[in-house]
Amino acid sequence: MNSTLARADSRPASQRVVITGLGVFSSIGTGVAEFTEGLRTGRSNVAPITAFDTSGFEYANGAEVAGFEPEKWIHHSPVKELGRATQFSVAAARMAVEDAGLADEDLRGLRGQISIGTTDGESRDADTLVAQRVAGDPQRVDRALARRLGVNGLSAAVAREFSLTDVEALTLGTACSAGNYSVGNGFDAIRVGDADFALCGGADAICLKNFVSFYRLGTVAPDVCRPFDKDRRGLINSEGAGVVMLESLESALARGARIYSEVLGYGLSCDAHHPAVPDQSSVARCMTSALENAGVAPHEVDLISAHGTGTKANDTTEARAIRDIYDNLPPRTISLKSMLGHAMGAASALATIACSLAITHGFIPPTINHVETDPECEIDCVPNESVPADLRIVQNNGLAFGGNNSVVVLGRHDKEAR
Amino acid sequence: MPYPVISTWSATSPFGVGRAAFAAGTTQRRSAIGPLDPLEWQVPTTHGAVVPGYDIRASLGRKGTRMMNRVTGLTITTVGHVLEEVAHPEDGADDVALVLGTTAGSLQSSMEITHSSLTGARPYHVEPATIPYAVMNGAAGRCAIWYGLRGPNSTIGAGRPTGMVGLTYSRRLLLTGRARQVLCGAAEEFSSARSLVEHYGRLPEEPETVLGEGCAIFLLGLEPAPGSRPLASVLSVRTRMVADGDWGAAVGHCVEAALSSVDEKADQVWAVSHSGTADAAGRAEHARLTELFDAETLVPPAADLIGETHSVSSAFQIASVLSLAEQDPASAGRIAVITSVDPSGMAAAALLRIAES
Repeated sequence: MNSTLARADSRPASQRVVITGLGVFSSIGTGVAEFTEGLRTGRSNVAPITAFDTSGFEYANGAEVAGFEPEKWIHHSPVKELGRATQFSVAAARMAVEDAGLADEDLRGLRGQISIGTTDGESRDADTLVAQRVAGDPQRVDRALARRLGVNGLSAAVAREFSLTDVEALTLGTACSAGNYSVGNGFDAIRVGDADFALCGGADAICLKNFVSFYRLGTVAPDVCRPFDKDRRGLINSEGAGVVMLESLESALARGARIYSEVLGYGLSCDAHHPAVPDQSSVARCMTSALENAGVAPHEVDLISAHGTGTKANDTTEARAIRDIYDNLPPRTISLKSMLGHAMGAASALATIACSLAITHGFIPPTINHVETDPECEIDCVPNESVPADLRIVQNNGLAFGGNNSVVVLGRHDKEAR
Repeated sequence: MPYPVISTWSATSPFGVGRAAFAAGTTQRRSAIGPLDPLEWQVPTTHGAVVPGYDIRASLGRKGTRMMNRVTGLTITTVGHVLEEVAHPEDGADDVALVLGTTAGSLQSSMEITHSSLTGARPYHVEPATIPYAVMNGAAGRCAIWYGLRGPNSTIGAGRPTGMVGLTYSRRLLLTGRARQVLCGAAEEFSSARSLVEHYGRLPEEPETVLGEGCAIFLLGLEPAPGSRPLASVLSVRTRMVADGDWGAAVGHCVEAALSSVDEKADQVWAVSHSGTADAAGRAEHARLTELFDAETLVPPAADLIGETHSVSSAFQIASVLSLAEQDPASAGRIAVITSVDPSGMAAAALLRIAES
């Protein structure tokens, strides 16, 4: 197989897609600088969940976005009329556009794609509606909440904030891999000529419905998330948003934009096997299709950001699938969820951003809370401390309920080399 | 770039189960809106448009359907009818995708989880078998299991234009070689939760919405599916966000951009289907179309017959147009325009070319 970089180079610059802006709200930091520092230092902010009443649960830790100030980022939309997940998506889009060095007017003459992934949409509002109804007084049911449950609001609100008219705005409801689905959709939209730029990512807000579902399935960790550890006990619910600005390489070069990474390709597969238990062969098939789409051979990949939820089933299955594809010699394979918690629809979008920052700044974020690697998960998860690394190609895995797998492959863009 | 073609389609709708029932209902303009059985539906409204007599276990059998929710049943039923028309391998396929539109998944299943948590003896006393259906992609994922659909499996939400945005999304999957054929459509269930949310969200000056439900699925490929002949090609889909409240202008922009992208003129248009939405956006949409097209090309809206079907509405519009084309020889080789508007601010137009028979 040809080397990746040659392959990517063989595409015309108009069909190469690069990431030039990052917007991030996470449990370990807001904005590129704070998030990067958090990844480098192995930060984590796990604490008892405050979003809803957790009495009666034996444990209810989460990783919330503390001190979220949407008004700082949302300038042209009525903030209070947006649900928390939509506030996250709009704020992260605003941050990504600013980070890309673009003004609103720059986008208005262009054709845009807005794709936001989510697991729960505004389920936090749905929880509130149910609680108001349970309370028994129909007069207390909040009309505004009932009007904003449609998940298309998460992407439409981004278009409204920037007064973008020539756009397609869609929300991908593919659960915990939705962020990668969105990045992939933006990548394809630019490559087939449907869009000049794309704002892509994912957003979710911690909610009771989601927490109780994972809790009931026995997949919530009582304390912290320990991916690939022999004593791992599950995931930690979190929230936030990641949105990236995608544009063609041609456009980025023409305006002298900073390029964090290039989207080399992506893959999708569906397990069609079990709604909640990942299927090894399907996960492997997804990785293969992503690498083929990117024109990358497995040995060229320097780092894998695993889905790595920290549940028994996920980590074993995912690690085995990785070993299959990588001929038992996988590159270092980390789980960002050890630090970030599981931000659901935002998770793989936040991971796309983390991978881009790792490429840009030359380091591998660690898998924290790690004591002893599970012999069933034979990978080097870069335990507890980040390491410097020269990263050229990084693979970002997203797996989901419903067997919805999506893997994105990112590459470093070296000005001199091209 | 090649235009994707629709090889076949089916619908499970308030007109009944299957494509023939939909085609008959929509071409005969039979209203499927009626009084709701108060024993079956504890809802704040008296009328609705539900799939008559739809029963998941009668439709799909007893195996694997014990806790299945309605939207998943409707999806599996409809996809099954489409796959019956083509040679879908028994053990499934890696290159067949499913792109399914939704508003917010099953509000019934997800709100049941919250309700159980808030009212049970313990907050975690929720029915575990409901959980996979309470996730927004539950229906698409379960349908993939049912038929072995191992290609891309995407759940998308874009308001009423979802059916059209799904065509664009599917086209990209085809053009980039991610799938060979795509099952593309949307599904929405009638439920007490959806009725309550609609009821609570209604502004005082708005009339009570008559909710409809169902699923419409189109089989899309760059080539017709083996053993079938194309019914129509998807020439163009254009979307636009309304920034200034001028819905008519936005719909006009979408239509004109779509027509000019394929170098077609308005006088080549055989039929125009509008959303039929009762709000100001829907009225402006209709008004603009009457300016752009001859009155006789405007098709009466399906929504008048089957109620507000939200994310499936534009898919049902496409199904209506295809149903009418089957009965009208004058449609051959000509253009159908489908438009839609959504309160989120999105307007959309799609152009189909009806195949020569």
